[in-house]
Amino acid sequence: MPQFEPVLLARIHKADSTSLEGYRADGGYRAYQKALGMAPADVTKMVVDSGLRGRGGAGFPCGLKWTFLPKDHPGPIYLAVNADESEPGTFNNRILMEQDPHQLIEGIAIACHAIKSEKAFLYIRYEYGRSYRTLFKAVQECYAAGLLGKNIQGSGVNLDIQLHRGAGAYICGEETGLIESLEGKRAWPRIKPPFPAIEGLFRKPTIVNNVETLCCVTHILDRGVDWFKSMGVKPDPNNPRDPGSYGPKLYCISGHVNRPCCVELPMGVTARELIDVHGGGVWKGRKAKAVVPGGISMGFLSADELDTPLDFAGPGKVGCLGLGTAAVVVVDDQTSMVDVLFNCCRFFAHESCGQCTPCREGTSWMRKILDRIRSGHGKLEDLDLLLEVAGSMGIIPGTTICGLSDGAAWPVKNAIKKFRPEFEDYIREGRRSITPAQELMATH
Amino acid sequence: MPVLSEEIREQIRAEFPNYPNKRAVTLPALHIVHHALHQVSLDAIREIAELLELHPSEVHDTMSFYGIFRTEENPYGKRRVWFCRSISCMLRGGEELMQQMCEKLHVHPGETTADGRITVEFAECLGACEGAPCLLVDDECHVNLDEKSAAKLIDELR
Amino acid sequence: MPTALVNQKPVELQPGERLNCVQAAARVGIEIPAYCYHPSLSVVASCRMCLVEVGETKPDGTVVMLPKLVPGCQTPVKEGTVVVADSEKVKAARQATLEYLLLNHPLDCPTCDQAGECFLQDYSYKYGRSYSRLQEPKQIKPDKDYIGEQITLFTDRCIMCTRCVRFTREISGSAELQVINRGTHEEIDIFPGEPVNNKLAGNVVDLCPVGALCSKDFLYKQRVWWLQSAKSVCPNCSTGCSVNVDQNEDKVYRLKPRENPQAQGPFMCDEGRFGWKYLQAAERLTFPTQKTAEGEGVRDWTAVLNSLRQTVEETAKKSPQKIAAVLSPWMTVEEAYLLAGWLKGLSAQAALALGPVRVAGEDDTYPKDIHGKPIQPVKFTIRAEKCPNHRGVREVLEHFTGAVKPFAEVVSEAAAGKYDLVYLVGGDPFGWITEEQAKAFQKVKTLIVQDLLPSAVLSQASFVLAGGSFAERDGTYINHAGLAQEIHKSVRSPGNARPDNRILWELTGRVGLFHAGNLRKEIAETISGLAALQAGNLGENGVLLDSTEHSAQTAVVQA
Repeated sequence: MPQFEPVLLARIHKADSTSLEGYRADGGYRAYQKALGMAPADVTKMVVDSGLRGRGGAGFPCGLKWTFLPKDHPGPIYLAVNADESEPGTFNNRILMEQDPHQLIEGIAIACHAIKSEKAFLYIRYEYGRSYRTLFKAVQECYAAGLLGKNIQGSGVNLDIQLHRGAGAYICGEETGLIESLEGKRAWPRIKPPFPAIEGLFRKPTIVNNVETLCCVTHILDRGVDWFKSMGVKPDPNNPRDPGSYGPKLYCISGHVNRPCCVELPMGVTARELIDVHGGGVWKGRKAKAVVPGGISMGFLSADELDTPLDFAGPGKVGCLGLGTAAVVVVDDQTSMVDVLFNCCRFFAHESCGQCTPCREGTSWMRKILDRIRSGHGKLEDLDLLLEVAGSMGIIPGTTICGLSDGAAWPVKNAIKKFRPEFEDYIREGRRSITPAQELMATH
Repeated sequence: MPVLSEEIREQIRAEFPNYPNKRAVTLPALHIVHHALHQVSLDAIREIAELLELHPSEVHDTMSFYGIFRTEENPYGKRRVWFCRSISCMLRGGEELMQQMCEKLHVHPGETTADGRITVEFAECLGACEGAPCLLVDDECHVNLDEKSAAKLIDELR
Repeated sequence: MPTALVNQKPVELQPGERLNCVQAAARVGIEIPAYCYHPSLSVVASCRMCLVEVGETKPDGTVVMLPKLVPGCQTPVKEGTVVVADSEKVKAARQATLEYLLLNHPLDCPTCDQAGECFLQDYSYKYGRSYSRLQEPKQIKPDKDYIGEQITLFTDRCIMCTRCVRFTREISGSAELQVINRGTHEEIDIFPGEPVNNKLAGNVVDLCPVGALCSKDFLYKQRVWWLQSAKSVCPNCSTGCSVNVDQNEDKVYRLKPRENPQAQGPFMCDEGRFGWKYLQAAERLTFPTQKTAEGEGVRDWTAVLNSLRQTVEETAKKSPQKIAAVLSPWMTVEEAYLLAGWLKGLSAQAALALGPVRVAGEDDTYPKDIHGKPIQPVKFTIRAEKCPNHRGVREVLEHFTGAVKPFAEVVSEAAAGKYDLVYLVGGDPFGWITEEQAKAFQKVKTLIVQDLLPSAVLSQASFVLAGGSFAERDGTYINHAGLAQEIHKSVRSPGNARPDNRILWELTGRVGLFHAGNLRKEIAETISGLAALQAGNLGENGVLLDSTEHSAQTAVVQA
């Protein structure tokens, strides 16, 4: 297979990758020019036709979401850029923002033209200080060059981008959690309906899009729909609801590999290829025991599921929640899955917003059970109890307000179902693997 | 004697035109105060609330939800060092690194060294997994650390 | 008329009506349990107790159910909606939710105020498991007695329904309550130094479905299953909130608002909620007296009433123009009718005046904005007029005397020596007559005072009739909007005091026992303005004096 020529990451190693001058020298903002010369509805149509699906985790068709906005709304309509990237294992948005900020800004500008928005809020997680500073500078350059502000390049279009820093909460990555946080409240996701496209930020129609998704928009306008669809995975002919998985995708690989990195590939690469070819193989000459396919919310692939294609449909076929953020984390065969699962449960218990009963209590309960198992006091029944608790929470059964619960439940389900003998051995032997470091952090 | 200086108030007010209402300036205002004073005291919350035309409870409600804000009981030190404890860093020794640094500095996570120089925290995934284990010093991320390089980094913090 | 189905039962929907599943089910007597949902507050659907299965009926009659559960409180019901609240899936979800809620909930039932009226107890009994599978230590959170002057919080009992927080933000607007921290560490709290002391504070205790928020006034005083409730009306202002008076062994322990869609809704203010302590005041008048030549004299009701009746009749014959009565706006309609009718019957020239209507400030509306200014739409009003039945007594007086004589006029006339006999009805437990005004009645030969507490004028009375409070009698109060509501006797009057309706019934020579319902029918026939009382039984929610149904009837009568 020929080496894939990156598009999203094409510029990140250049010396001048973050400046406006450098961006323009490489043809930057011509896609925006093109968009400005089109009617907003035509821009939307391009994005719809491209089959672009959101890269934030849900994989919802991007253009379709834009069409949910009410027609002929007096405004304002807002774009909220979700740069709250917090899914463990994920760092592709960070790279895009730190190394090629104008690619994102151009995508934002094109999207705002399509949805007739004059105000975009860029919600950046607190911990991404460098991304914030880089984008701040880039946005200032744009204002100075007349690419932002009033009557952009004489087109009559106005656009303001407002950077907004988060404050350390994973749930701000959920669309309506982000909206509530931006509005100045605690980030408790809203009940839906109404959906943000109808009633979002400040109760106005709002589109929330992921950073990588918007970067794709830039290139769809620049290179065309056919280019985008020339790579990826076509829809499953047996499933009329499958929109396919098109376009280039940034895959993160980390954990027990020799070369943790972020690599751009056409959608659909297998986990095995990602690990062996791009990640330099499992470290220390070991084998992979389990692989997270798309951020820990998606669960785990077992060692014999590594040929699963990592497109939107692949991981679901082997019992994972989905592709998520396409962040692959490799666990070697000398690591205990009990320890790995504990790490996941601790994360979700810490990050649960606490609004709805099953998630607030369930995530904390699962963590406590894992704590007890890892302190040598587990029982075999605990595994079925964990499965039962995990099975009763989430938007899939309908018992919670948002999908954090599903993400909290999936690692538990996959780990126990796919690695049950390991868990049972651990419990039977009364093993105890709580580390001193973990005891230091015990209350959280 | 107000807690928030006129300069801080100006910075907060400067955010008003950026948002459709003052409530949305809650996080930016908390960041401004927190960055300047290394804490947000109850009096500061009251003054922020007054500027934003909110009840103090509304500001406090928001503030207590997030992981980063310190109160007057435990302000953070000169420098704040966050150790990631999520999956990718955990798999490559991130938690042990944190423990080693805590021992070196004689603090527990959440505490500040006796000389007020460094506050040690744990964080969830910092998004630098390609360089695990990593840590965040205030606003800068440092990657590919081991005990030696982390210790050197910390010693050089002023 | 559109129809929906809940558990196979048809629910009729009024055109244009917007119901959620919980409301639709209630309409056909099916309970969908819910904690965070409250009809007066915004919908948050966070407790997840009301999860049901929902589907819609296609044009061809087939029913397509949604594959997942949905919260009943946020799901609208329209024509063809099918709600299933009794399937195995729903039952399992309820069991799971209750298990989650009880996970960290302390087993405080033996010492918790809420026991007996606790939704956690009730739903656990009906829908929960009888055991918990938690083997780890429970989350412990501190008690907070500083939440409000009247409110204390047992934090670890809280189920995070956020009704209390939403109340202080949406109804009172004062936003004292907040949630702090995140996830399982969340707690309800106040901002230090800003306790919940607004005038509607007590409502959050009612709203709390469990024993987290408790009333300091009621704390540990009484088990609710020993309490008996009487439906009544708060007398402290002309909003006339419908209430339940809870008592045990003739002692009132608390007032709670009773939902009345025609009156104030499900809330009441603290002035009313806690403003009944005078019921048990040591100063209560507990026996009738008649001053004789020797001093205080007679204390027997029969003797006193007979003597009083005789005195009034004689004065009416001898000097009919020298009789006056002051009817307090704290009297019931029936009492005012009995007294006014009797006196006018004895002397057409008897002067009837309206007792002092105490007004404190202005009507106080809620919610309020950050600057304390009331905002629209108004969710609750505490009225400035501090009496329960101004409208009712006025209707009676207007019927019997035309223009209503103000109290001040009677005071100055009495001071000028115009009256030989004055019948003063007090009844306002917070004071209705000043020392100055009392002096005006010094020249009156026969002064009758009917009251429940001592006042400035008491020592001057020749006849003292020890009366009852609102909690001790049956009758009718009419509020500011013309809503006539029944009050019911809940406790016996202390000592030998008697409810005013009984005093007047016997004094005015009526035979048999006082029966409010029958008397209302008589009043309705006599006073056209009160024709709405003709039903006798006014129901739980009362009747409006000016309801269209009634107006149509009056129109026919007048024609």
